[in-house]
Amino acid sequence: MSGWQASIPNGPILAIALTLAAYLGGVRLFERLGRPSWCPAVLIGALLIATGLWLLGIPYRDYQRDIVWLTLLLGPATVALAVPLYQQRQSIFALWKPILCCLPLAAALAACYAVAIAWLLGAPPAVLASLAPKSVTAPLAIGIQEQIGGSLSLMLGGLLITGVMATLFVSWLARLLGIRDPRLIGFTLGVNGHAIGTVRAFELGPTAGAFASLGMSLTGVFTALFLPLVWRLFGA
Amino acid sequence: MTLLRGFLWLLGFQLLGQAAVEWLSLPVSHAMAGLLLLLVWLLVTRRLNESVATASQALIGQLAMLIMPGVVGVFFVIDEFAGHWTAVMLALVLGTFLSVLTTLWLMQRFMPGDLVSSETQEPRP
Repeated sequence: MSGWQASIPNGPILAIALTLAAYLGGVRLFERLGRPSWCPAVLIGALLIATGLWLLGIPYRDYQRDIVWLTLLLGPATVALAVPLYQQRQSIFALWKPILCCLPLAAALAACYAVAIAWLLGAPPAVLASLAPKSVTAPLAIGIQEQIGGSLSLMLGGLLITGVMATLFVSWLARLLGIRDPRLIGFTLGVNGHAIGTVRAFELGPTAGAFASLGMSLTGVFTALFLPLVWRLFGA
Repeated sequence: MTLLRGFLWLLGFQLLGQAAVEWLSLPVSHAMAGLLLLLVWLLVTRRLNESVATASQALIGQLAMLIMPGVVGVFFVIDEFAGHWTAVMLALVLGTFLSVLTTLWLMQRFMPGDLVSSETQEPRP
């Protein structure tokens, strides 16, 4: 590293500043593009960070080490998810029967389909482990990944693609099947598309949004509790 | 102050979660255990104090920003999985298509009575 790059400051403050700038820039660009559902703000922000790292000549490993100062907040943010769950307890209790029947099966299948397809195509265990939590909201998925292994980046990439795909498929299939109940569409968005699906559901209306957060939280909690156990049982 | 007090509550529950996980050697993350403990505590006391609500709303609003640094890694691990991109993409796209279809079908099947009731119809934006 030589020339002007040598005088550039580095360390955690730079990493955090770069991340915040990229996030704000990503959100701004996202609004400017008319909030496209195929390209969430997080993806734009991540691209901006990658570009920034490349321009500043910062190795990804250094960034990864420094940004921990910021991402430590994911822990309390995960604990915070208990609050919306508590606030929605009434709708959960009111619909406990259909939710209880559907959720475990839907959440388990969301993981199984992807793992089975990848396994049939000959992907190694590390890839399978990275794909399994694909429908879980990121902070919980990171917790699962700590338990079952796999690549964190591949898992987060998979999460992102899953969220975008779920949003597209839900709108498309709901139209095809003539489904218009906002509760059902919202719940499906939350179960399959985690936070990205939930953001989309809030655009459809408050009912869809509430049921999406419910689906997202329940899928996350269910998968976070059972996936590590199942993974251990099968010795993968 | 409200925000800080709520934040301290959340940290406290995460630490409790950590203690529970270490003590019982549970296969879940510390934060996940903290979430469950906080939920149980809220359900038992039936009272959500304002500071916890404020702090949790503030943090949940920043979730997208907090996961972004992890997403950046996608651009740097491409080589690592170079041989498996077809499998990964097929698994994600086809797998998501199938699971969306299954969820819609399951939900439609299990809550048929609720589906057509007129009170659930809200004006489309």
